[in-house]
Amino acid sequence: MAITFQPSAYSGLVDQDNGMVSREIFVNADIYAEEQERIFTRAWLFVGHESQVAKPGDFFVSSMGEESVILCRDRQGEIHVFLNSCMHRGMKVCRYDEGNTPIFTCPYHGWSFATDGALVGVPFYKDAYHEELDKSQWSLIRVPKMVNYKGGIWATWDPNAPDFLDYIGGFKTYLDILFDGWDGSEGGTEIIGGIEKWMVPSNWKFPAENFIGDRYHNISHRSVDLVGIGPSGQGRRDNSEREGAKSLDVSFPERGHGTVMFLRPEHAQPVPSYQNDPIVADYFYQCEIARKERQGQLWRILAGPGTIFPNMSFLPRQPRSIAVWHPRGPDQTEVWRWFLVDRSAPPEVKEFLRQYYIRYSGPAGLTEQDDMENWNYAHSASRGAMARRHHYNYQMGMGYAVTDFEDGGLKLDGTVLDTTKARAGEQNQRGFYSRWREFMAARDWDELATWRNGNGSAC
Amino acid sequence: MVVANDPLAMLLLKQDVEAFLYHEANLLDDRRYEDWLDLLTDDVRYWVPMRRNVKFGELEREFTREGQDINWFDEGKDTLTRRVNQILTGVHWAEEPLSRISHLVTNVEIVGVTPSASDAEEVALRCRFIIYRNRVATETDILVGRREDTLRRGDGGWRIAQRQVFLDQNVLLAKNLTFFF
Amino acid sequence: MADIVNLFEVEPGQTVRLHGNATAEVVSNPRDGVWLFVRYLTSPDDPDQVGAEDMVFAQDVLELVTD
Repeated sequence: MAITFQPSAYSGLVDQDNGMVSREIFVNADIYAEEQERIFTRAWLFVGHESQVAKPGDFFVSSMGEESVILCRDRQGEIHVFLNSCMHRGMKVCRYDEGNTPIFTCPYHGWSFATDGALVGVPFYKDAYHEELDKSQWSLIRVPKMVNYKGGIWATWDPNAPDFLDYIGGFKTYLDILFDGWDGSEGGTEIIGGIEKWMVPSNWKFPAENFIGDRYHNISHRSVDLVGIGPSGQGRRDNSEREGAKSLDVSFPERGHGTVMFLRPEHAQPVPSYQNDPIVADYFYQCEIARKERQGQLWRILAGPGTIFPNMSFLPRQPRSIAVWHPRGPDQTEVWRWFLVDRSAPPEVKEFLRQYYIRYSGPAGLTEQDDMENWNYAHSASRGAMARRHHYNYQMGMGYAVTDFEDGGLKLDGTVLDTTKARAGEQNQRGFYSRWREFMAARDWDELATWRNGNGSAC
Repeated sequence: MVVANDPLAMLLLKQDVEAFLYHEANLLDDRRYEDWLDLLTDDVRYWVPMRRNVKFGELEREFTREGQDINWFDEGKDTLTRRVNQILTGVHWAEEPLSRISHLVTNVEIVGVTPSASDAEEVALRCRFIIYRNRVATETDILVGRREDTLRRGDGGWRIAQRQVFLDQNVLLAKNLTFFF
Repeated sequence: MADIVNLFEVEPGQTVRLHGNATAEVVSNPRDGVWLFVRYLTSPDDPDQVGAEDMVFAQDVLELVTD
C-alpha cells in the first residue's frame, strides 16, 4: 500500500535537531513523485549555456527535472526555453540533441512551431479546422521565468519564484567564480563541445549532497591519489596554491546551496602552478595576478565543489565543470556534465584543460568512477524494509559553525564551518536537507522565501 | 575491404591479425593488464567519442571530435598506464572486487595494408565488439559498437598504434567505463 | 497520379503544384520533410493569394513542376 506523506511528515524524515535523515527520502517512490511536483516545478534549474546556442536557430535539448525542454535562440536572437512536447498530442517536437533549425516540426500530425515557440504550421488548417483554430493560444509551453546569468541559462516553472539572484543570495560569490574568467573578468567562460550524459543507478540526492561539500569521502579517491592524474602528473589536483589556507564549509541553509573552499592567508601572493607546461603555467600565473588586483580580499577564496539547490553542482577550478543530476525515478539519475574554459585562453591552455577534464571526470574519469560505485551501492543497500527503518547520520561538526565568519578583514556570508583542523564536516548536507524539507512542506513561494521575513532557519 | 592482388597473402594476414585480436582480448579478460599495455605502441592514440542524435543529412556532427571536444576517452599511453595502475592499487572501488568481463570480437575486416599483404608493416582494420561486464552480484552491462584499429609490426609481433571506438549509445547506460575496449 | 514528393529533395527556386489547384515557388526548405516555405505563383480559386508567402504541408504538395 502506498504511503501518502502529509507535509507535516517531512519533519520526521529530516530530523535537523539530531542531524539525521530518513532513508525513505532516497528510496520511496511516493516521495520521489512528490519531489517532481514540489521541487522540480518550483526551483530554479540549470538548462544550458548561451555558447551552446550562439546563432539564431541554434537549439540544445535539455531537461528540467524529468521533462525534456528545448533551449533555443530565435531568429531575433532572443533565448527561450520550451517544454519539448507538441501542443496537439504531446509528441516530442525535437528528438535531436542539438543543431540549428527554422522550425520544430512534430512528426506525429505535423504541427510546426517557430523558434520563438509560436504555432506556425497546422496541417489542413483551412479544410479541417475551418480557420477557426486560434493558433496564438497553442504556442509551445514556455518557462515563465528564465535568466541568462553570465552565460548560464536557468529557468523555473513557477511564475512566483523569486528572481534568480534572490534565489542565489550570498552564494553569488561562488557562482561568479565558476562563470567568470580565471582572471576575474565577468562571464569570461565558454563550453567545450560535447556534453557527457550517463546513467547512475542511484537517487539524484546522493551526488547533489556529495558535491555540496563532502570532504569526508576523500578515501573514495585513494586509488587515483596513488596513481596521480593532476595537471602536474601527481595527485588528483595541483594543491600548491592551498599552502597555509584555511578549509571552510559554507552553507546557505535558508536557500539550500553550499560549497567547500580554501581561504588563502591574508597576505598570500599568487604562486606558480601547472609547471609542466610553461605556456599554461604563465597563463594561470598572470590570471591569478590580475584577479588579485580586481578582487582584493575575495581573491583569497579558492572555491571547491558546490551545489545549487536542488540538482546543479559544479567545480569552479579543477576540473571546471557543471553537473546536473536529472531525476529518472527514485533509483536512477541521468547525469549531464558541461565543461568550461576561459573564452580568451590560448589554445594550449584549452587543450591542456580538456585533457585533464576527460581523465578526471565522468564515467571514464579516473576520479569519478569511484563515486558512481559508492552512490550505486549506498542507494541499493538502503532500499530494504529493515534498512529503511534506520536514518543516515549527518551529525559531523554540529554546533561548531558560525554565522559571522571573519578572517583578516574578509567577512563571509552564510553559515561557515572551519574544517581546517577537523578536515571534514556535514553542515552543508544538513543545510541541503533542511531546505529539501521546506520545499516538500511549503505551499508556495510566499512560504519558501523565508529570508524575506528574516526567519530563515539556521543549521 | 582492400582489393588484394595477392589473395593468399591477404588470407594469411587476416588470420594473423585475428589471432592477435583474440590474444589481446584474452589478456584483458584474464586481467593481465600490464601485458596488455605491452601490446600498445608508445605513441598509441586511444579515442572513444560521444555520440549525438543529429538530423538526417548532418551525420558529420554525430560524433564528438578527437583532439577538440570532450570525449569518453581521448588519450595516449601515459593515461592508459595510469588506468591500469589504478586497478592494480587494489583500492579502486569501481573495480573492487574486479568485474567479470568478456570481449567478443567479430566482423573483422582489413581495410588498409602498408606496404603490401605479404610483408605488412601496418594494417588498418575494422571490427565489431560486444563487451559483457558483470560485477558484484547482478550488475550487468553490455556494450556494443565498432572498433577501428591500426596495428603496426613491432619486435615481438603486432602492436596497437591507434584504436577508435564507436559505441552504439547516446546516453551511456553504464555507470562507468572502468574497462578497456 | 504523380509520385509522392519527398520534401527533403525539394530545392528553393523550384515550383510545386499544390492541393487546391495553385502553384508556388519554393522560398526555403526547413528540411523537416513535412513543410515548405513558398510564394504563390498562380491560384485560380483564390487570386488574392498570388505573391503571398505561406507554409505548405507535405500532403498538400502534389508534384514538382518540371519545365
